[in-house]
Amino acid sequence: MVFPRPFPTDSYDTETSETQAETESTLLKHLPLDPNTPLVLQKNLHMQYLVRNLTQGLPTRYTSQDASQPWLLYWTLQSFSILGVALDPDNKQRTIDTILAWQHPDGGFGGGPGQAAHLLPTYAAVSALANVGRPGPRGGWDQVDRAKMYKFFMSLKQPDGSFLVSHHAEVDARGIYCLLVTAYLLNLLTPELVEGTAGFVASCQTYEGGFSSSSQPYYSPGPSGTSTILNAPRPPLGEAHGGYTFCSLGSWIMLQPFLALEDPSTRPSVDFKALLRWLTHMQGLPIELGGFRGRTNKLVDGCYSWWVGGCFSLLASLGIGGGQGRDVDTGSSDSEGELWDEVDDSLWNRIALQEYILLAGQHPAGGLRDKPPKSSDAYHTLYCLSGLSSAQHNVFPSPARRSQLRGSWSPVSEFNEIRKEAFIEALSWTEEEGTSQIIGGQGNRVNATHPLFNLTITHTEAMMQHFYGQTLPQRKF
Amino acid sequence: MTSEPDAPLFADRPEWEDVVPLPQYENVDPLAPIFYTDEYKDATNYFRGIVKTGEMSPRVLELTENIIRQNPAHYSAWQYRYKTLMALKAPLDVELRLMDELAVRYLKTYQVWHHRRLLVTETREPGPELEFITKSLQEDMKNYHTWSYRQWLLAYFNDDALWSDELNFADQMLESDIRNNSAWHHRFFVVFQSGVRTGDENREEVVRRELAFVKNYISLAPNNASAWNYLRGILDHSATPYSQLLLFVTPYSVPRSPDADLVDVIDLENPPPSMGAQLPCVAAIEFLADIHENEGGDDIMKATELWRSLADEHDTIRKKSREYRIRDALQKVQV
Ligand SMILES: [Zn+2]
Repeated sequence: MVFPRPFPTDSYDTETSETQAETESTLLKHLPLDPNTPLVLQKNLHMQYLVRNLTQGLPTRYTSQDASQPWLLYWTLQSFSILGVALDPDNKQRTIDTILAWQHPDGGFGGGPGQAAHLLPTYAAVSALANVGRPGPRGGWDQVDRAKMYKFFMSLKQPDGSFLVSHHAEVDARGIYCLLVTAYLLNLLTPELVEGTAGFVASCQTYEGGFSSSSQPYYSPGPSGTSTILNAPRPPLGEAHGGYTFCSLGSWIMLQPFLALEDPSTRPSVDFKALLRWLTHMQGLPIELGGFRGRTNKLVDGCYSWWVGGCFSLLASLGIGGGQGRDVDTGSSDSEGELWDEVDDSLWNRIALQEYILLAGQHPAGGLRDKPPKSSDAYHTLYCLSGLSSAQHNVFPSPARRSQLRGSWSPVSEFNEIRKEAFIEALSWTEEEGTSQIIGGQGNRVNATHPLFNLTITHTEAMMQHFYGQTLPQRKF
Repeated sequence: MTSEPDAPLFADRPEWEDVVPLPQYENVDPLAPIFYTDEYKDATNYFRGIVKTGEMSPRVLELTENIIRQNPAHYSAWQYRYKTLMALKAPLDVELRLMDELAVRYLKTYQVWHHRRLLVTETREPGPELEFITKSLQEDMKNYHTWSYRQWLLAYFNDDALWSDELNFADQMLESDIRNNSAWHHRFFVVFQSGVRTGDENREEVVRRELAFVKNYISLAPNNASAWNYLRGILDHSATPYSQLLLFVTPYSVPRSPDADLVDVIDLENPPPSMGAQLPCVAAIEFLADIHENEGGDDIMKATELWRSLADEHDTIRKKSREYRIRDALQKVQV
């Protein structure tokens, strides 16, 4: 076995290099001495872990997540979906009833009953409803007050195109992503809602290429008390960060239908070359088992498998880098993985990431984690599994599906053009057949997940079809 | 206003008798319930009761502080507390001193920092904040909230007095750990992204100063991604061609030459790698390849050779992305 090289420290130790070295030695212990050791995704253990949380409840230390109850449920339900299991009808109904208890009387969802509405739990609650809900009485979907939700969204809007995450709360990229996903799923998009938002997102890109939490506007005082936001300075607050980068890039993609309407001379832009470079540099060395970190010179962590690893298919959908996917003929190829190296034109090391998750991400008692020796939690369980899924499968916006959807669109009375584009773009994402690469064998296969929403494609389709009043054409492949 | 750890439950206090506590779930048997302590359940029941009636009184401050101490991520308690402070026109300096304690204790929660921001927006006294931030960064030198709070403070108040020592501060943070990327980002924020500060009017001079600064840091520990990213940041921001760094970068991109010690002419513009440097340095090879690619023509082949060496030997984990660069560059030559 070739011993992987430690990160070079140039005989110049600092706190950063010391914690890095400790992490390397811990991770190295998880590298099997025999390279033929089978790598197994302990699906049953993880399932049991999640079921235990759901039915037996969560220990007192989870009080810190009391304002994140919708997240706890979303992480659990979406993990189930990626693992390919669903709840029984009784528990589904209990889940729907629980979620509806979080809806705020003035629109949006809070982190628990009686809590203030907030964009993050709103996203998590709606995404959880995509997993377990249905139309009709007590189904959860038709009980969401969309009109009030829209009003809630508008009440958070800031002059620079950003949104507060809740009243009197902070602005950050996560909130914008959460708002846009919710608006996409529930058919709430309007030009007024997202005016200026793309400009805000673009302003959060830092000199490193990734995105920060937010930016600070500077204003030029205008006549009679009016002021306009300057294009510069508009400094990003905080350094490039994996979580904010995923949210910003996802937002950027969701804003494409609106960007197309803007004047090309003033249209905001993103430096994709710098972004791509930063993303590829977030992948750790072989001694870090190929996991992802979330910032330069920080430690690798399982959740960035999704936040950073998940960015590559988003970039590919914009035509940047490889792995755009092809519309392949079915039936011709069941030799999955055989020609992987020729087929895999993605820009990151999908194999190494799978190894990190399988070797270091799994807790022996079930659930997934940041890194050893940490314990598992619902958050890391989902984002390790989602990252694993994006490393296994190639999901891309299919031109064939796009034209099929275009052909079957039945016009709606309000904002037809914008909503049509949003619907078509969101649902054109298709899992490429025959190019999955599953480390450790077919037993480790998990379901594909929608790169923008982190819901299964089936759940995304069902929910959007309902809220847009459309009938989806059968997939031809 | 402070809550004793063994304070009686709100349910047992006569002065709270008039409030109807609201249990969290009614007619719902929730999934994934959290096993709260009695103290937490009690306080949040009363909080829901208060929110329902809309009461904003001094005792609400006590209640919300109690909840925040048990769960600093309870954003609704923070939000309601802020609204109550405003409604009562409460003395905000007292609130800030309480925050001094809570911020250090709950460094990693969004809310402690945001609440501070709301308060300082009201008091409009940013001055003492810088020192407080400096102290909390000593506890956690890469804390995202702390750094972005500092940057917000500087940009929002945009007051020359606040900015006067900021470059020094960034220097000190880097000196204590040259790999602290948050500090590098802060330096970039200070120098390039928030307008032109007093003394920095000559932008060409500023670029020269920053280049000298970052080269020096690269020479101390060349395998420091933060410093290379900063270097690229300066060049991109000032539209300086990467090729101007050719002389500096080259010795970092090759194995140490055996006669390195014999160099007797020291080029101050281009400090050599330190004695302890591990060469060749991946970031230098990458940088050199970018220079060659930009030159175009025959140099493209030099770039592809460098990418090849990264892909096959020096940085194998990023093989796919370097192979993409090779394909991409060769395609451009053929066109
Ligand atoms: Zn994590």
